[in-house]
Amino acid sequence: MPLDPTLHADDLRAWYGSMPVTSRYTVGPAGERFFRAMKDAARILGTRCGRCNLTYVPGRLFCERCFDELTDWTEVGPSGTIEAVTVVHLDLDGALLEPPVLMALVRLDGADTVLYHRLSGVDVADAKIGLRVEAAFRRLEDRTGSILDISHFRPAG
Amino acid sequence: MTHPVAIIGVGWSGFRPVTPDVSYKELIYEAAVRAYADAGVDPRRDVDSFVTVSEDFHEGTSIFDEYVPDQIGGAQRPVHTITGDGLHGLAAAVMQILTGRFRVVVVEGHSKASNILTLPHITAYALDPILNRPLQVNPLAVAALEACRYMHESGATREQCGAVVTKNRRNALRNPAAAYGADLRTEDVLASEVVASPLARLEISDHADGAIVIVLADAETARRLSPHPAWIRGIGWANDSPSLESRCWARAVYAERAAAMAYKMAGIGNPVEEIQFAEVDDTYAYKELQHLEALGLCAQGRAGPLTREGATAPDGCLPVNVSGGSLGVGHLLEASGLARVLEVVLQLRGHAGSRQLGDVYTGLAQSWRGVPTTSGAVAVLSNQLGGRES
Ligand SMILES: [Zn+2]
Repeated sequence: MPLDPTLHADDLRAWYGSMPVTSRYTVGPAGERFFRAMKDAARILGTRCGRCNLTYVPGRLFCERCFDELTDWTEVGPSGTIEAVTVVHLDLDGALLEPPVLMALVRLDGADTVLYHRLSGVDVADAKIGLRVEAAFRRLEDRTGSILDISHFRPAG
Repeated sequence: MTHPVAIIGVGWSGFRPVTPDVSYKELIYEAAVRAYADAGVDPRRDVDSFVTVSEDFHEGTSIFDEYVPDQIGGAQRPVHTITGDGLHGLAAAVMQILTGRFRVVVVEGHSKASNILTLPHITAYALDPILNRPLQVNPLAVAALEACRYMHESGATREQCGAVVTKNRRNALRNPAAAYGADLRTEDVLASEVVASPLARLEISDHADGAIVIVLADAETARRLSPHPAWIRGIGWANDSPSLESRCWARAVYAERAAAMAYKMAGIGNPVEEIQFAEVDDTYAYKELQHLEALGLCAQGRAGPLTREGATAPDGCLPVNVSGGSLGVGHLLEASGLARVLEVVLQLRGHAGSRQLGDVYTGLAQSWRGVPTTSGAVAVLSNQLGGRES
């Protein structure tokens, strides 16, 4: 549509820009309780909605179905079942990952929700829906109170 | 619907893998000029309000909504931006007209995806910062896990997903605006490298640049200005549970709920009988199958077999993505839903060229906002009010 279209690709100009984005994310009271239990005791906590008969993991302060406040904390796992799994071959920059990374949705025993996490110590051919797995926690001195305190899930032994 | 709303003008520019020769403003301006010429309106005089859709991180500009009024003719006028897909923008425009305070409202969506140099990082930044983002995995994993679970529960196969790709890219060969028309075999799709199992490279839509502008009007204005109004008989939108932890991984619940809302408004009791063709989100090949089932256009688990049998081909009983879909046209970021609407409008007008379907009067457009969202919208359009009146 330009009245005088560009005919020489070499003449085309572009400007580049980038911005560092750094944020702080407050975990809140439910997150505090969930991550402290992982860090201090390698325990995974959920909260239960009796009205909906649902256990949320990580534990949260309210039920997204009935909107009730949740106060009933309960321990789940550390074993669970794979609900979905993928072998990821590209990193965040689009470069080939060698070896590839296994990612899974794990439904911990006693939970109605899943955790999105890495899967290790299993052949790709055996990484299938239904596989029984368990959380592999980092050593106490390496745990910081983050989702990475679980280093990965591995076949239940 | 007592006070119907119609689409009276459409304009687009693109769609191409790269557009180094124009800025995003010029891309949008081109689409807007065409839409206003098509509708026969002057944006500075006749348009009462403008709705645009964009995501700041996709634009590389904070508070990007401040950068949209001028190229759509909306400077010094009512303008607002929605961070959602274009179909959400269309829903907002319909609501504005239904208030009775606006007669003509414009919706704009665009993609300058070729200018985004770190898109997987941007998508990863949309994941929960405390629970998901620390794992630092390419967000393709989220789509791949959903594909895994959907295929497990529905019985859909990789061959059926491959058939979606060959159909849509072949359809795109008959769409002059499409960027990725190709004549592929299912074997070619299955043989392309697996990037996140079960997804192979050719099952993932590539991006395109482009802009789409749509002009809507109330019934009286539409009848006065347009020889071929496309009536929005129903529109709906919904979200599933947003978190990766608690969402449904097998079914597209957002599309089920959005469709129920749109069908109710349109008075559609049996979509299989009343929807003649559909443009649905196919960002990934499995999504087309999952969405067809969510929309009630195929029974659970039937979309794959029906696709393999050719039922969703242009000459099948339910043509799906005759435009080529995102796989064939190119994924247009927030404008993707408007690309689906655009095709439905062209088909209803009889303006779809060599891909024109015979004797169609009701079509459906559906969108999904992409990974990691559970957000979608549905619109039902007809070229006649109250269904068929031949
Ligand atoms: Zn509840």
